[in-house]
Amino acid sequence: MINAVEIHELDYRAGKNFQIQGLDLTVPTGSIYGFLGPNGSGKTTTIRLILGLLRARAGTIQVLGEPMPLRAPTVLARVGFVPEQPHLDPTLTVCETMRFREAFYPTWDGDWAGRLLKAFDLDPHHLFGKLSKGQKGKVMMLLALAQRPDLLVLDEPTDGLDPVVRRDMLSALIDYVSQHGATVFISSHLVHELERMCDWIGVMDNGRLVSHMPMERFKNGIKRLLVSGAPADTASAPFAVLARDRNGSASETWVVRGWESGMTAWFDGRGASVQSIIDVDLEDGFVELLRTFRTPHGQEVH
Amino acid sequence: MFRVVLYGQWKWSRIIVVLGAIAGFALPILSVQGATGDPASALRPGELLGIVQAWGVLYPVLAAALGLLVAIATWAPDHRGRHVQALSLPLPRWRYVLLRFAAGLVLLVPAMLGVLAGAVLASATATLPAGLETYPVALAIRFALALAVAYAVFFAISAGTTRTAGIILGIIGAVIVVQVVASAAGIELDLTSPVQAVVMNWPGPLAIFTGRWMLIDV
Amino acid sequence: MSERVPAACCAVVLTLCAPLAGQIPKLRARADSLLVEWRQAKQFADLQDSLRLGRERGGRDTIRAGSLTYLVNPSPLPLAQAAAIAWPQVERFYGPAAQAFAQRPFLIQAVDPDTNEDVPPGQAIKILWNTDVAPLARALVAMADLGPLDPGLRDWLGGVVVPRFDSGPAHAAVYVQLVTAPSQAAQRCYRGDPTACRDALSLGAMTDPASQWYGPAERRALVLTQYGDFLRRTNHGLAVRSCEQGSNESCLELLRSLAPGALPQPLDYQARLTFLETAVRVGGAETFQRFLATPAGPMGSRLAAAARVSEDSLVGRWRSDVLAARPTPVPLPVWGAWVALGWIVVFGTCGLRSSRWRVS
Repeated sequence: MINAVEIHELDYRAGKNFQIQGLDLTVPTGSIYGFLGPNGSGKTTTIRLILGLLRARAGTIQVLGEPMPLRAPTVLARVGFVPEQPHLDPTLTVCETMRFREAFYPTWDGDWAGRLLKAFDLDPHHLFGKLSKGQKGKVMMLLALAQRPDLLVLDEPTDGLDPVVRRDMLSALIDYVSQHGATVFISSHLVHELERMCDWIGVMDNGRLVSHMPMERFKNGIKRLLVSGAPADTASAPFAVLARDRNGSASETWVVRGWESGMTAWFDGRGASVQSIIDVDLEDGFVELLRTFRTPHGQEVH
Repeated sequence: MFRVVLYGQWKWSRIIVVLGAIAGFALPILSVQGATGDPASALRPGELLGIVQAWGVLYPVLAAALGLLVAIATWAPDHRGRHVQALSLPLPRWRYVLLRFAAGLVLLVPAMLGVLAGAVLASATATLPAGLETYPVALAIRFALALAVAYAVFFAISAGTTRTAGIILGIIGAVIVVQVVASAAGIELDLTSPVQAVVMNWPGPLAIFTGRWMLIDV
Repeated sequence: MSERVPAACCAVVLTLCAPLAGQIPKLRARADSLLVEWRQAKQFADLQDSLRLGRERGGRDTIRAGSLTYLVNPSPLPLAQAAAIAWPQVERFYGPAAQAFAQRPFLIQAVDPDTNEDVPPGQAIKILWNTDVAPLARALVAMADLGPLDPGLRDWLGGVVVPRFDSGPAHAAVYVQLVTAPSQAAQRCYRGDPTACRDALSLGAMTDPASQWYGPAERRALVLTQYGDFLRRTNHGLAVRSCEQGSNESCLELLRSLAPGALPQPLDYQARLTFLETAVRVGGAETFQRFLATPAGPMGSRLAAAARVSEDSLVGRWRSDVLAARPTPVPLPVWGAWVALGWIVVFGTCGLRSSRWRVS
């Protein structure tokens, strides 16, 4: 099966201080892929490279089986894009904006666009430039969904929006995905939002992809252990130690990755014991992962 | 696609288009109103030609101004959105730019028709001394071409990045600075005259703006 | 005794004056002749001074082309080439009369354009030695003035008598004058009245130029716009006011009161020179020679006689030439429109090739 997005050895440089080097990324078709990363990590840049809005120095990008940016017009006809910032003509009304988009997308579904307009409670005669941030976000989501895309690329679509608007937008998104089996590539730093809907997770930091795996594995694999008599050497551990913090003289708190049940036996054999095992939520796991990755001798995780 | 692009650009530039059409219509009419009221006055031919020639200076000015404003309005929606929508639409870049260019040209037509209508009306209502004739169609055609050339020049500049515009302005500025420094140092160096000669004389791009713009002539 | 002396003195004075009165025309002719001689002598003296100066400055080359002779200091000035181009033009205009130039060498001082050399004033004509052949040839033709041979011609022209390389632009300018000159004579000439053309060109005896050249409205405009202040200062205030109020006779009388030559002519020197050129062209190579031989009289009949055509015919021919030289009204040639369209395409293509292929 062709992946919706395939990136190999991508290189991009912007100015002196930011670079994406050797990026490999695949987004399986039909998945909801969450693209996490702190501000300035390269999420938006990667999205723009995927859509052909920026040109890479090296590497290959394939979207829906077509090379980008060579086949950009063909690919973009099947891609719904919601950028980070509103990008539409502020002098057009909502209705005029929809007509503008309809002219370029043969797959435009006018009826569904009308239903979304009602569902989002948007006034079609309101100028786009005069809408609130949330309303603009809804318009952009409406436009992306109404063209019936095979791939939705959403760059922090709910950033700065109130919970009601976020809920409305995500509901519409999930409805569409469930009905049409489209692939969604969504970047955000609202980790809890991605946790609920994504089935794949990629973590970007400083131009590098530091993690790329199914969401369940990412969530379940990270645990916080309270260890007494902790051994100094962890090289032979069947799990990856992301962090070790001393709690006084008796015990340590470990954050580990790749934990499975039965691994407590490794501690028993070394005169240590695991006092408690605590699940780490996605946000904490994300923070720990980045913290580990940024230390001078941070372990590579995969 | 062209219709929606045209509509979008019309919303940005409608005031310019309407005012330009009114100005284009009024200019020829005003240019023939200034002559003495007495058609039998023997001073009228020379006076009329002088007044028409004086007003004629405004045609290239109007063409340049309208061309600039419409070109800026053409790219305004994309500049506002940092070209994200334009670059994410499913058509080749050149085709999109062609749509924008053509839509801008269409929006110049009202001004061209305004000049034609005004020139025809002025010609029909003016009382001309013997030996003088009116040239409304030739004037309107020349205005249309000058307007389109101005639009195309500013369209090309507006289509570029800030860096490109900076390079162009930088080159112009450098030429001027070198000329000024050379003059101050007493060095005989004339960079601007050859450039001016190439640009302003046929077949240079701005040659259509030069010369006399006469609705009435011998 | 005392009464006889005054009578005798009067008788002596009368006796002496009687023959003197008869001598006045002779004396006047003699004085005129002396004046001409003096002028010629002065010219030769000036020429001699200049030649002496030239000799003192390192000698001069002699360049000849036909009857034209130029004395010029050695320099890079391409005088020989230019003279070879100028002579046929001069000969075509003057015909055999051009032989007169053989007696009048031209003194030229070729000046280095890169120096501030101080050349003393004299008869020499100063020309920069980096002048190209074409403009130099035009300058040499413009120096070939035989006007002094016929004072009447010079007075009528109001300027020098010189041939031209190309009288096309001059005819176009005369066309514009005919159409726009504030003179009923010029405008009636444009519309085809030969008598008006003769008046406008001052070809005949201009007994009353104010009425021959200008109509009532034009006379009124002239008085009020050009001569009003002067006429008021010279105690013609009442008449000016009367003219202002519409009295045609008052306007006419005021213009008639001006000094001869003060009234502006409807057509200028260029127009009259084109008429002279027309006569030369119609009459052929010896026209100017014949003209010099015609007795003094109205210029129109003299030129017509020299051209061996009737005056009406000559005037008609001139008018046809002028009307045929009507200038192009709107300076946009057909190919210019295509060039403009080409530039529209070029700059539009530059927009298509914009460097903006990525977001900023």
